[in-house]
Amino acid sequence: MAEAGAPFSAYRTTVREEWLDYNGHMNDASYSVALSEANEVLLETLGLSAGYREEHQSSMFTVETHVRYLAECSRGQSLTASTVVVDADPRRLRLHTELLDDQGRPVATGETLYLHVDIGLGRVTELPADRLRAVEDLRAAHAALPRPAHLGLGVGAPRQRPREDTRQGAERG
Amino acid sequence: MADRVVTPYEGTGRRPWRPGEPIARPLQLHDTTVAPAWVDYNGHMSESCYLLVFGDSADAFFRFLGIDEDYRAGGHSLYTVETHLHHRREVAEGEPLSLTLRVLDHDEKRIHVFHEMFHGATGDLLATAEQLLVHVDSRAERSAPFPPEVHERVSAVRRAHEDLPVPEVVGRPMGIRRRPVGS
Repeated sequence: MAEAGAPFSAYRTTVREEWLDYNGHMNDASYSVALSEANEVLLETLGLSAGYREEHQSSMFTVETHVRYLAECSRGQSLTASTVVVDADPRRLRLHTELLDDQGRPVATGETLYLHVDIGLGRVTELPADRLRAVEDLRAAHAALPRPAHLGLGVGAPRQRPREDTRQGAERG
Repeated sequence: MADRVVTPYEGTGRRPWRPGEPIARPLQLHDTTVAPAWVDYNGHMSESCYLLVFGDSADAFFRFLGIDEDYRAGGHSLYTVETHLHHRREVAEGEPLSLTLRVLDHDEKRIHVFHEMFHGATGDLLATAEQLLVHVDSRAERSAPFPPEVHERVSAVRRAHEDLPVPEVVGRPMGIRRRPVGS
């Protein structure tokens, strides 16, 4: 599990051949593959990945994703991720993930909203108590981390020069 | 070794442009079928494949604007800088997909577009994608104004789409909205 006060950063990968497009750069959709793989590692530590689906006939469904593409990536390049639980309630989970190059520079950011869905019933339900506790623990551990300035902004919001704007630094979970 | 990402339109060049010809509102440039490779272990199209399909529709749109292989070889291209996806419904292997695209806004080097993905038979809305595209000089790795012929096409599409209703999700920030409670 992540230590208190640090983003979740267990994901490591290298840019795969099948992620590239005609110009040898990573395709738009491939950034979202890497972002969702990184988030899946976090969901796994919360006990909310494939095993959970099998056991509970429930799953975290992505309803919304906002990706900002910041730098091109080439084949074989290593990538890591840094994820913060931005917000959560018994039915919803909101994550912000930075995909980073080997110098720690962000190549993309992804903001994702998940709903907890009971697949059998076909509707949104509350997380079971143990899973909710795990989500709440991680959210509390991340509560004091700085929030990126672009969080919760729509498409086309002006880019900030300094990457982490202090204007929203006071925002706390 | 797996293949690279290819769009169904690669190598097909640009679309002919006849000034003054009516422009569809919205554009409908891409139809497809959910491929076996796109589905997860539940038999539903996986999350990132929605973006792949929107990307194929975007490629058809680029060709509509005159941006094809030759154009890119000339040192300019259109890059996606931001994407905001909303997933509405699941869709299974073999089901038909029908895509639309509208131009919401543009300036001398940027285009703001909105895609909708419908089930090709039932008409159900499956997903939407709002994207910001930027025209770039790929050698200088900088944004660059559209050349006049591309600008003319973008402007014509924008004019045609001007009075279409703005979808309610456009520009809406993501968040967990809570109902006021007595606590």
